[in-house]
Amino acid sequence: MQVMNKPDAITECNTLNDKDFMRYSRQVLLPEVGEAGQLRLADAHVVIIGIGGLGQLAAQYLACAGVGELTLIDMDKVEVSNLPRQLLFSDADIGLNKALVAKERLKFLAPNCTITAYETSFNIKQLYGVLQKKRQGKCTLVLDCTDNFETRQLINRSCVEAYLPLVSASIAAFSGQLFAVDQISFPSSGCYHCIFPAHTRVSHSCSTQGVLGPSVGVMASMQSLVAMQLLLGMDSRCDGALHPLLGHFWRFDAKSLSWTSAKLTRDPYCDVCGVRKAIPYLT
Amino acid sequence: MILIHINNVAQSLTEPTSLAAVILAQDIALDSVAIVLNAELIPRNRWQSILCQHEDKLELFSAVAGG
Ligand SMILES: [Zn+2]
Repeated sequence: MQVMNKPDAITECNTLNDKDFMRYSRQVLLPEVGEAGQLRLADAHVVIIGIGGLGQLAAQYLACAGVGELTLIDMDKVEVSNLPRQLLFSDADIGLNKALVAKERLKFLAPNCTITAYETSFNIKQLYGVLQKKRQGKCTLVLDCTDNFETRQLINRSCVEAYLPLVSASIAAFSGQLFAVDQISFPSSGCYHCIFPAHTRVSHSCSTQGVLGPSVGVMASMQSLVAMQLLLGMDSRCDGALHPLLGHFWRFDAKSLSWTSAKLTRDPYCDVCGVRKAIPYLT
Repeated sequence: MILIHINNVAQSLTEPTSLAAVILAQDIALDSVAIVLNAELIPRNRWQSILCQHEDKLELFSAVAGG
């Protein structure tokens, strides 16, 4: 799309071409999206960390919805035990890197989307690309779709340091958790470390506890829904007007199908967001 | 008497009790849970200083990290 090649372009001045207007018509029909919203998605860059149960579905939703650029990060290879819930992958992919397979699949599912894949574990350098986009005034977002507490802490810390909004989802057994934080537009809601400090004892993971595919799908769908609405609600300069979905922590009980929401509050003594130690070259 | 609810189970306190003390009385390690007090997440640094009030609703839960 034209708008992607012109970093400083103001999306409102552009229009969707006829092909894309048809493709995204069910979204554009919504007054909350419209043509301007669809162009905003085309101008957005989302980093998805972890291309397992959550990430493979979020990547499909965002790419197919017209998000212009995705960065996919996962060091893991497709395993046979992934296939019941990671529906983007098939038996033929076993042993191949998840981020690379997802990138190849999404080329066909979402030809408009530019995808970068990293077949390594997450490190903050992988956010440089998205930060560049942010400086150019594009809407940017990080999705935490990983499967372990240590990486979640690292991602949270990196997003705080880089002032990038974070939408995080998790699931194990029948319990799901979801939250969205943004240090720029809503610093009073704090960060993941305010809720669960790094030394927290954690026992739950899908590999030790098991999980049903649709529970993962519910969490990934909700995460994608939050992500899209945050992108649509941001202005093109990413000043990020306060969005009602920011600053909440949702829990999902997959047995009773019930959701519980709580308000996030910042811990003024938080080691991560309490004392701002932003790295100058990241801001 | 102070009546509170912990994960939807009613419990009575005979004297003003901090969030931290309530959790410890449940035999739960402080570094293993998060607390929602009346629909608001309370950072751990405040658990000692907040005293439970009559009709407070507490939800305790642990971190879920899978995906
Ligand atoms: Zn924090």
